[in-house]
Amino acid sequence: MKSPAFAYARPESLDEAFQLLAEHEDAKIMAGGQSLLPVLALRLGSPELIVDISRISGLDTIDVDADGNLTIGAMVRHSAVEESDDVAVFAPLVAEAAPYIGHRAIRNRGTTVGSIAHADPAAEMPAVCLATDAVMIAQSPRGRREIPAAEFFVGFLETALEADEILIAVRFPAVPVGTTGSVVELSRRHGDYALVGLATRLLVANEVITDAALAFLSVGPTAVRVSEAEAVLVGERPSAELFNEAARVVSATLQPAADVHASANYRKHLAGVLTRRGLARAIARLDVSI
Amino acid sequence: MTDSTSQGVRVAIGGSTQIRCVVNGEAVIIETEVRRSLSDVIRQELGLTGTHLGCEHGVCGACTVLLDGEPVRSCLMLGVQADGTEITTIEGLADGDIYHPVQQAMHDSHGFQCAFCAPGFLMTTVALLERNPHPSEEEIRNELSGNLCRCTGYQSIIDGVTQAVVLIDAADNAITNATEAGNG
Amino acid sequence: MVEQSKQTSGLGGFVGTSVKRVEDRRLLTGTGQFVADVLPKDCLHAAFLRSPYPHANIVRIDTAAARAHKGVVTVVTGAELEQITNPFLPFSMLPDLYTPLYYGLSSERVRMVGDPVAIVVAVSRAVAEDALELIEVDYEALPPVASIEQALRPTSEPIWPKAKGNLLYDHTDSFGEVADVFAKADHVFTETFTCPRQSNQPMETRGTLVEVDPVTGEVTVRSATQSPHMLRWMMAAFTERQGPIKSLRRFLGDSERRSGFAAGAKAFVGEKGDALKDGDNAGMIHQIKTDPAMLRHLGRTLMGVTGKDRYVTVVADDIGGGFGAKGSVAREDIVVGAVAMAIGRSVTWIEDRVENLTDGGQAREEEMTLSIAADADGTVRGLKVDLTIDQGAYPGVPIGAAMISRMMQVMQPGSYRFEAFEQRSRIVATNKGKYVPYRGPWANETWARERMMNIVARRLGISQTEIRRKNMYGDEHYPAAMLTGPTLDVTMSVRKTLDRAIELADIEGFEAARATAAANGRHLGIGFASYHEAAPGPPNYWDCINPGTSALLDQPARATIGADGKVKIWTSQMPHGQSHQTTYAQIAADQLGVGIDDIELIYGNTAKTPFELAGTGGSRGGPVGGGAVRKAGRSLRKELIDFSANLLEANPDDITIADGVIHVAGVPAKGLTFAEVAAKAVQHDPSRGDLAFDVNETYLSAGDGGWSVATHVCWVEVDLETGFVSIPRYLVVEDCGPIINPAIVDGQVRGGVAQGIGAVLYEKSAYDEDANLQATTYMDYLIPTATEIPVIEVEHIETLSPGENDFRGVGEGGMLGAPAALTNAIDDALASRGVFITEQYLPPYRILELAGVIDPD
Repeated sequence: MKSPAFAYARPESLDEAFQLLAEHEDAKIMAGGQSLLPVLALRLGSPELIVDISRISGLDTIDVDADGNLTIGAMVRHSAVEESDDVAVFAPLVAEAAPYIGHRAIRNRGTTVGSIAHADPAAEMPAVCLATDAVMIAQSPRGRREIPAAEFFVGFLETALEADEILIAVRFPAVPVGTTGSVVELSRRHGDYALVGLATRLLVANEVITDAALAFLSVGPTAVRVSEAEAVLVGERPSAELFNEAARVVSATLQPAADVHASANYRKHLAGVLTRRGLARAIARLDVSI
Repeated sequence: MTDSTSQGVRVAIGGSTQIRCVVNGEAVIIETEVRRSLSDVIRQELGLTGTHLGCEHGVCGACTVLLDGEPVRSCLMLGVQADGTEITTIEGLADGDIYHPVQQAMHDSHGFQCAFCAPGFLMTTVALLERNPHPSEEEIRNELSGNLCRCTGYQSIIDGVTQAVVLIDAADNAITNATEAGNG
Repeated sequence: MVEQSKQTSGLGGFVGTSVKRVEDRRLLTGTGQFVADVLPKDCLHAAFLRSPYPHANIVRIDTAAARAHKGVVTVVTGAELEQITNPFLPFSMLPDLYTPLYYGLSSERVRMVGDPVAIVVAVSRAVAEDALELIEVDYEALPPVASIEQALRPTSEPIWPKAKGNLLYDHTDSFGEVADVFAKADHVFTETFTCPRQSNQPMETRGTLVEVDPVTGEVTVRSATQSPHMLRWMMAAFTERQGPIKSLRRFLGDSERRSGFAAGAKAFVGEKGDALKDGDNAGMIHQIKTDPAMLRHLGRTLMGVTGKDRYVTVVADDIGGGFGAKGSVAREDIVVGAVAMAIGRSVTWIEDRVENLTDGGQAREEEMTLSIAADADGTVRGLKVDLTIDQGAYPGVPIGAAMISRMMQVMQPGSYRFEAFEQRSRIVATNKGKYVPYRGPWANETWARERMMNIVARRLGISQTEIRRKNMYGDEHYPAAMLTGPTLDVTMSVRKTLDRAIELADIEGFEAARATAAANGRHLGIGFASYHEAAPGPPNYWDCINPGTSALLDQPARATIGADGKVKIWTSQMPHGQSHQTTYAQIAADQLGVGIDDIELIYGNTAKTPFELAGTGGSRGGPVGGGAVRKAGRSLRKELIDFSANLLEANPDDITIADGVIHVAGVPAKGLTFAEVAAKAVQHDPSRGDLAFDVNETYLSAGDGGWSVATHVCWVEVDLETGFVSIPRYLVVEDCGPIINPAIVDGQVRGGVAQGIGAVLYEKSAYDEDANLQATTYMDYLIPTATEIPVIEVEHIETLSPGENDFRGVGEGGMLGAPAALTNAIDDALASRGVFITEQYLPPYRILELAGVIDPD
């Protein structure tokens, strides 16, 4: 299949991009295009205008501020994130998630911020954003707006972005001492969208879990945290029994849908299995024996 | 159809634009409709039909080319996105009648059968060995898992990659020895 | 380096060595020529409008806006196409079978999601697709028929009103004293097996380019087809629609055509009369009774073909795999051909992947109940099978479900010495994709029987290897015949492969590993599967499938030496990945004493290649195609030597050929090159023209042949937390007789195994309960990748044939054995939980459901 016809613009500044968005009701932002182009090629969507933001300068940087907050710009490709030493140190869950995204040829083009803006519930980055309490940085002619991850993913392929806004970056907050985490997922083939995936973040002080985030992908219309299971963990010492209980709560809480790859019951079960595996992997990294 | 006066590029619905790239070492200027995929530009505008379309939705990997040295799916790019880049396709691997070592290794190993998938595997392998000249079998399989082959069961292709490592090492050693001999 | 020089210097002895592929030079450098690579100047592009409904009446179709769209040249609907084409006529006309008549486009009713209802021809594919969106169709939805169970309900909406319901075929055959054997056996075990829909999925989709020469009007069809001659005649038959009077006048008025046709018919019937006598007559009469319109269409088609002004030439260059799907003549081929000829312009249609997953051919959806009567000691005595095939909306042409049901029946008893066998075969219509042969089209009989053998073994408390050894045919039983007819001889060496597999498998070592793993909560299993396949089969094989069939399957080959001394081999085989150019060069070079590079293979052009309908498929390329090439090569050698004997003033018996030089043995210095001899030959007899030597030979389908056999062993580990199955080891011990090229044979075996693994763990053409296809992209139809397919060990045994033909086919076997060995291994891993696997598709969630870890939704 071939793409439907569309108008194309490649602005060289954000202002020019905003102007294009203002002029066209049905405009679609394209960064790497790895989510948009299959949609076009299968004629599942037909935007009037594609705004290619790849030549706008200043969007392709990974920055770390003095407090250790790491910001990834809108044109930073997955492969750059995967290979960045800063990301590995200051946003380790992002680094751990990156290799799970498609295959190298996809990661060479696709962008981390683009994946977040696309808000596919089966993608890794939205879940990582939820787990890490990342902050989305949106810009429009009205100015700059920061949107917490928890408020950003509002539905299937739907975000809190307004029509005139462009997601220009994502900021991952500094990682406090005592933090650990993991990204685990299972896909039917290497590189496929996960049947279920989990990004885990734990804060441990004096061998007690003081904060926990369990963010799942491929279990509903958006990536989702399971606060009921997080509550089970907080205030407790890590143990196999505790993880089993968290897994039980995860399986009981999530309401995933069935598709050609898995039944709903399987996804609930697998979410529990990954909860145990993800927590165990996170804790193992802290060198705490449980 | 192209209006570049307001800094960036703007093309109306159904319109075309001019892109400039270096393809297999040659500078080219192509006029193309903006909705055209890079793969269609390569195959139809440039006549380089060695790059194949297996699915046109980014899964099979047959259309893989190197863009500034890195593998990309040419069906998941618009031609216009490749403006200003350097592209290598399967036609750019051999040096006249002399196979690229990866081609030679695939030939030696009976790598392919129908070979429709071959352009993607070859380009992926060339990039893999640039990045990682001595991959383990697991690394090879992981890197090639974005390319589908329906004929071989992959073993002969994996053997081909392993053989390519041997050929490239041998060539490197020959150059090193020659240089040392020259210096001596 | 030694091998390389051997390839060019012509030392002989090529057969049996892994000669490197001749095809590689173009295919590895991107200079091959696939159908999508050819785009004549001003060629138009076609796209098809396809039904979004599984079952509906077309109430109205309005193409005005599409026709008016800029860049659109023509739009043709089903009703319009019916004015210029004939419907597909049935090929497998079995008694009791209803075969529907249908056209390239559907006009009144759509019967599957993806059913083509109109074609747009435009200046580019993108513009054609734009115009598709402008065609308005009003559909009136009909109740969909989505499964075998629904189709068998008397209340299901008939998909073909002229058939009595959706059950199109119901036939039972019995062999031996079935009731008696079942009554006397110690036990009768019964299980029902299900296999879901799969798809062949070659990496290159289908595609057809109809080139119309603007000056001469000559039509050349370039197509990714496994059988150019079949496509040529189908194209002639179905695109020609002149009135009978006109056809008759043309036919009678053209004496050359008349005498040519008469001579051809006389020769064919004279040679094959006896075989044809038993053939399709009963089926044909049944068809005409069911649908009298068939007689009219048949007449019109025959008159159209015989009275045609000229016939298209079909050309195929490189083809990106087929696996059976490209053996079928596509509805789209006929539509594109008819429309291109009607408008007098070249038109290309390159199928996209969504079309291919929807309408490019699906296979294997079958339900089978097997009963085995067995004695307590593990002797199996009787077999009863109740098979139902879900052929979807349209039968594949020329080979559809009917022919496949016959293959399944003939092979069903497998390599075991049953005393009695009975099979009921049913075919149902549903609102799903077209049913085509897929690599080893009968594979599910192997799967179900080999599963059932393991189930019987488990029930009786004996091992899976013991039950096989105990009941298999071996050399001491020959000569023998399968209950269903085909002769068994020493080439049916399956027990040798089983014994060798048992040696290599180290079962004791595995059992120790299994015990250790079990103590750690890990679940290991091992599965065996054995089979023999007709590749090409004994002389009576095809007539056991359907009397008269063998008459259609003879394989010609031609070998020539040009006036310039160059050797050419001409074959009707149509390579699409099997490396014919290399293997046929090996065979011919050995016969002629020349190098691999001295042989040119001519294929894929109906204006050049010898006529034969089957093309490449059915594991025939090696034995039948290769056998014909060897015969032709041998005859050519004889002619060459006989002629050279005069020149060399020697006895032909003393002459040999080596290194491309013909000489008296021991006196190579006084030899003649091919070019020298060819020049003399032409000089001696100018009527030879450009060809100094020209021989034609035929491999008789009902002449020589034998079996290919194998035993597969699969090891698995099943993770009962996730349902994931890993395959730490896979072994194939096979016997396809003398091997032409070991590397190529290994590749065929491994490729087949990979497809078998895909069938069990990854691939399903999934439809929902309303017959909507859910796996329409490669994100949902999962082809296994390099990380899912394990290393596959291949061990060869080379049993020689008692007949002249040694080579035996190897294309299909991998796919036959793998689903059985893999599911047997999974069953073995889960046996401790009381699980008996009776379904072929086992994704992770299903494994956990079967193991009782999770409940089904």
